[in-house]
Amino acid sequence: MTRSRANRSLAFSGARTALALIFVATIFAASFAPLRAETLRMPPHEKVVLKNGLTVLLLQKHGVPLINISTIVKAGAVADPAGQDGLATITADLLRKGTKTRTAQQFAAALDFIGGSLEAEASSDYTVVNLEFLTKDLARGLELFSDVLLHQTFPEDETTKLLAQSADSIRAAKDDPQSVAIPYYCGYLYGTHPYGRPGSGDEISLATIRRDDVVKFYEANYAPSNTIIAIAGEFNADEMKSKLEQAFGAWPARTVKAEAIPPVTPSKGKRLLLVDKPDASQVYFAIGNTGVSATDPDRVAIRVVNTIFGGRFTSELNEALRVESGYTYGAESFFDDRKAAGPFAIFSFTKNETTTPAIDLALQVLAKLHKDGVTEEQLKSAKSYIKGQFPPNIETSRQLARIIASHEFYGLSDDEVNQLEARVDAVTPDVARQVIQKHFPADNLVFVLIGKASAVGPAVRKYATTQDTRLISDPGFWPAPVASKK
Amino acid sequence: MRKVSWNVFTLATLCAAMCLCDGATVALAQQQEFPVATRTLKNGMKVLVQTDHNIPNIALYIFYRIGSRNERPGTTGISHFFEHMMFNGAKKYGPGELDKVMEANGGSNNAYTTRDVTVYQDWFPRSALPLIYDIEADRIRDLSFDPDKIKSEREVVASERRLSVDNENAGVLDEQLWATSFIAHPYQWPVVGWMSDIEHWTMADLKHHFEMGYAPNNATMVVVGDVSPEEIFKLCETYIEPIPTHEPPPPVTTVEPEQMGERRLVVHKPAQLPLLMLGYHIPQTNNADFYALNVLRTILFQGESSRMYQRLVDKDQIALDVSSADEPAFDPTMLEVAAQPKQGIDPQQCEKAIYEELDRVANAPVSDKELEKAKNIRLVEFYRQMRTINGRANTIGTYEVFFGDYNKLFDAARNYSAVTKEDLLRVAKGYFGANNRTVATLRPEEAQKAAQ
Repeated sequence: MTRSRANRSLAFSGARTALALIFVATIFAASFAPLRAETLRMPPHEKVVLKNGLTVLLLQKHGVPLINISTIVKAGAVADPAGQDGLATITADLLRKGTKTRTAQQFAAALDFIGGSLEAEASSDYTVVNLEFLTKDLARGLELFSDVLLHQTFPEDETTKLLAQSADSIRAAKDDPQSVAIPYYCGYLYGTHPYGRPGSGDEISLATIRRDDVVKFYEANYAPSNTIIAIAGEFNADEMKSKLEQAFGAWPARTVKAEAIPPVTPSKGKRLLLVDKPDASQVYFAIGNTGVSATDPDRVAIRVVNTIFGGRFTSELNEALRVESGYTYGAESFFDDRKAAGPFAIFSFTKNETTTPAIDLALQVLAKLHKDGVTEEQLKSAKSYIKGQFPPNIETSRQLARIIASHEFYGLSDDEVNQLEARVDAVTPDVARQVIQKHFPADNLVFVLIGKASAVGPAVRKYATTQDTRLISDPGFWPAPVASKK
Repeated sequence: MRKVSWNVFTLATLCAAMCLCDGATVALAQQQEFPVATRTLKNGMKVLVQTDHNIPNIALYIFYRIGSRNERPGTTGISHFFEHMMFNGAKKYGPGELDKVMEANGGSNNAYTTRDVTVYQDWFPRSALPLIYDIEADRIRDLSFDPDKIKSEREVVASERRLSVDNENAGVLDEQLWATSFIAHPYQWPVVGWMSDIEHWTMADLKHHFEMGYAPNNATMVVVGDVSPEEIFKLCETYIEPIPTHEPPPPVTTVEPEQMGERRLVVHKPAQLPLLMLGYHIPQTNNADFYALNVLRTILFQGESSRMYQRLVDKDQIALDVSSADEPAFDPTMLEVAAQPKQGIDPQQCEKAIYEELDRVANAPVSDKELEKAKNIRLVEFYRQMRTINGRANTIGTYEVFFGDYNKLFDAARNYSAVTKEDLLRVAKGYFGANNRTVATLRPEEAQKAAQ
């Protein structure tokens, strides 16, 4: 809660892409630093697979006496059973809410006593459990870690409590339109494909979840062979390996059915969803289509082009919608890369009165990208920007643990960091043109708007042949529930 | 002669000191020293440099001691608007050029304005180093005000206000809380400004603000990263030192009178869930009670084992979350408490539970374990702030500006360790009384009704 300050600009490439991979490498122009022609490289790390199939990754990093553990369980919202959106998230949230030896309150007390932080959450592709504590608290930290991963009991009363709180959190989020723009957008873009599911669940799906469902989800998905544990920070590697063997070696091996993600089909034609928030003085809009997977061969070129189009302050979108016209405080575009093709979107907001001028302008910027491509000068600038801004992404053991875990999950290597300087530099205007043609939508577009329907509804009809509307207080996101309970 | 002073700051030493005070021993794998070098330029700007070669990047923060507390009714929000205008063209780098040149050289920037300070942040690879100084010097010395840019930037700030206040219930309630809690002191108006003021600033207001607040002697520069103090001091001599000094802003002399009874306000707004915020007057940041208040806040609000979480979220199940916040402040300020009641719960139920917990902590000492926990949490939080060059630049600058000396940073662990149970009783009694509080409640009304 830092409401007593005002920032100059939105933080670009923010939380929405936090779980996505970072596809950039770096080099430093030697002109002012003749003695430092270094190329940034991933610090060395090692991989150990225990007999039960558990993958362990170790990266030693000195400087700050903290240890970070990033765990990936290969089951996210995609693994939610039909009608039970949010089950992966609820399961993750409940990990800390009671174990064989600790009540939820006792676990919280033990974790807080060492100043530890624990985050467990489900994204589309996987569940991530991150734990951080001081090096001096290694024994207690690992004990708490194995407690949440192996020994939880999912108490009935904690489950009921959490489900009620989670449903209310969604209602609270809908009071803040910016915070729910993406769940509506993904729902409308992907429809019944698992990537359309709200990872948090919704007011209706959460009501269907019972403790038994959580236990079933845990038993089906939390298994050594389905789990990656990445540890980074200040520790002794041999000591750490033997401690992990002690803590997790006896976790029984189990066969896990890999969740197949159905193929993603891009949306055809033009469709528009208007989510009515009758008191809104500003319209929030997302426009786009499906994007690419985390292993797409074009991922680096896409990153470069998107930096120019909508991925930084001087991007074409922000220049047009903010700097030149003053329509908005911020306009951006992003690709959220996943196992299968994740979403691409242009996102911005503007006062009700300038809704169509702002959206028209965003569409013009997109059309211009297709028509004119990008210039040599723009490419040069974007390459410098990506390379110059990359190092703070691999600065801390917290970031490094997440990156190596994520690379392991997607089957990527350190080359994502070590080789990408060359990959970024290899992007030419011709490559960019092909990438724009192939990956940036042109005529097939999905529009999702949250705003005051009575003020902006008639004017935005021109954008799409297919139109849908919902009231923001209606339960669920999209698709709309068949029988809406009011 | 310019004075260069050194202070060796060792993360490991700090940790050891802290742990020894708690009776624990600690073995640390490796020590790393982060010396801070300082120099005061001839024009009065103080420069602090900390070398860190972990990554080949640099964070450069400039703190100007000017914020919305230096404003007057009619031009509220001008500090923040001015912050935006600092990116919209000077003599050498015209409108739009600053960002284009910086990004083309691998750098990025942002800035923030609070009630007390305006802070400019540059993040860049060391190869962009001379350029960044050229840009900063240009805009500190020769900012220009393009009427077209003023017009479009005014709209940008209005959009920012709609985003963070008008269409965000917590933003609306927070603004009302400050406006009610403070009746005399300038902390009463929002940093972003009232909408009608945003619409009416003039060019003359901007020029006046620049002359008032943007003297080099009113600023502190902090540089952390892959660079030596000598390199930075040399760049400062070339680019920054020739900028003439002038009068800093006039002192803010208004003192908020003591609050002599509870104040209450209600906002009726379309919403699915109500909201509750409380404000208690507390002293300015450099007051000796700073550490005790932070330890108390940690015990009450931080983590799922905190007293408030245990009571409101876990046991009574009347709230989704409960938290507290404060920002560094030059003048006596406000400690805020916010609770998100569950749907259908009257915010007064949350209020009652919060008061009971505040009474409890004011009337009986906390346990040894709670006190030790809070100190451990503060220590880890300290490392979290200090592990990146950005976090360190911001923290060093904050201590230098708000405590008057960055060296206070090195005393933080000791100061936290020194907090006793009696201190906690004293500050809880002293600040959490009913007469000292303002209560803000947002009560949902039907969205349909509001639209008519």
